[in-house]
Amino acid sequence: MKKPSKSLLCLVILLVLTAPLHGRERSAVLLTVIHFNDLHGRLLPYHDKSISETTPVGGAARLARMIADERAKNPGGTVLLSAGDMFQGSPISNVFYGESVIAFMNALKFDAMAIGNHELDWGQGVLNQLAAAAAFPLLSANIQDKQSMALSWAKPSAVLTKKNLKLVVIGMTTPDTPFTTRPGNVSGLTFRDPVEILPQLIREARNRGADLIVLLSHLGLDADQQIAEQIAGIDVIIGGHSHTAMTHPLRVNDTIIVQAGAYGAYLGVLQLTVEPFSRKIVDYTRTNELRTVLSGPNDPVDEGVVRIVDRFNDQISTKFARVIGESSVDLVRNPHEESNVGDLICDAMRHASGADIAFQNGGGIRADIPQGKITIEQVYTLLPFDDALVVMDLTGDQIKQILEQNASSGHSILQVSGMTVHYDLARPAGSRVIRVDVGDKALEPLKTYRVVTNDFLAAGGDHLTAFKEGKHPAYGSSLVEAFTTHLEKHSPVHPEREKRIVFVNP
Amino acid sequence: MNEQITVFVDGRPVKIYRGMLVKHALIACDYALYKAAACGEVVVVDNHGFVLGLEGALQEGSRVFTGPRNK
Repeated sequence: MKKPSKSLLCLVILLVLTAPLHGRERSAVLLTVIHFNDLHGRLLPYHDKSISETTPVGGAARLARMIADERAKNPGGTVLLSAGDMFQGSPISNVFYGESVIAFMNALKFDAMAIGNHELDWGQGVLNQLAAAAAFPLLSANIQDKQSMALSWAKPSAVLTKKNLKLVVIGMTTPDTPFTTRPGNVSGLTFRDPVEILPQLIREARNRGADLIVLLSHLGLDADQQIAEQIAGIDVIIGGHSHTAMTHPLRVNDTIIVQAGAYGAYLGVLQLTVEPFSRKIVDYTRTNELRTVLSGPNDPVDEGVVRIVDRFNDQISTKFARVIGESSVDLVRNPHEESNVGDLICDAMRHASGADIAFQNGGGIRADIPQGKITIEQVYTLLPFDDALVVMDLTGDQIKQILEQNASSGHSILQVSGMTVHYDLARPAGSRVIRVDVGDKALEPLKTYRVVTNDFLAAGGDHLTAFKEGKHPAYGSSLVEAFTTHLEKHSPVHPEREKRIVFVNP
Repeated sequence: MNEQITVFVDGRPVKIYRGMLVKHALIACDYALYKAAACGEVVVVDNHGFVLGLEGALQEGSRVFTGPRNK
């Protein structure tokens, strides 16, 4: 028999040795990244006409069931991520300082969450408690302690291993955070520019053996796109902050960007096909990345999460019935004149912020409160708009301009604290404010005053555009919180109209 | 970092304080537009056509567009 040639023998040996490799090459790895962002404590379904005229959307129990269904399609290959702003923004979360949301997220076995700007709204102490209660890491690589101390409530990144692939997830928080919360909440912290620090973080992650790098970003889509344009090496950006319902991913250079709207109305499901040797993403979900979370009566829910939500929801009525103060007079609004409840609210704003002057639009005061005990529920009914305090510097001239704009706008008269205003509405527009005193002194046109108002007016609402010209703006607490704290400290209150607003020639 | 940013609503420049949201840009631009968006008659989208929430964040140069909701 003729012996096989050496070259043929080598070929056979090569084929035998590489056969397993060819087999593995054919079986690409499928990863599923489930994500949502900006839940803002919406654990209960709610109505959003822009999504459905009739069927409620969102809700923790429905979300949980949809997540379980997606996980079941790729067991062992699924990660669950949140891009931040999960806690602040609804009664079922706010009255428990986020504890209810953490319970929900722990039940779902989240892998990681980015720290959003609103995670700091209750201060670093509360965030520390939430991080300790969480069974998953809270991530932010760009929030740093000014003294270079490690933050107890944040880790820069997390390593997840799925199907033998190593994912490094880096968290990032908007550098605008100091502009969106009380200064005290961010004291001792710096928020570094993501573009400056990401190249080094990516190099370190690759050196640690990262196969895929995921940026869990609470920066907003515009910033995410800029990062993808400027910085190489990020495979996927899971985004939040801009509340963008990205029905399909964007691809910028080699980076895939997704974001799932807000309030749990959408669940993002990103399928990634990874080539196992190069460890590169070779395919991904191109369309229909978002699942709409419809919560109709026939939509299945996770019964375990139903029990968690019910446990907290059942306590809400008790929390809302809590008496936080008392008034010895009826608190009555009046959109056309000074009102005693307007005075009280403005006093609360001024005391909460330390400002010289407070302004509140009458249209933002939505109920009267009868004499007697005052509950939290009554405060929410009185001030239902979830307004935040904004403090800014305005000159006397600018304050006068605001009052003139108000006197000519046809909107409700501004309620005030720290000042008295005399109007003559019979005079021509632009000359109806005839006298303004701050404390016991006349308003000085060139002097700078610290002024507190709500975010609606600060944006120029009710056509009061002069509010937009302030300097050194800073966000404060919510208006509800300021008013509640004021009642707790000063009850029983007995506000009377103090002639802060006077009409001559009425 | 500037305390105010300029964003664009339907191409119109609008100045708002840094940290303010889509709803503030609409209030600053045209209160009637904000009211229409708040009650769901108008939707707000970005330059990709993706729908934005009224509490969505904006940054310097962000562009938003408004249009009637498709029922």
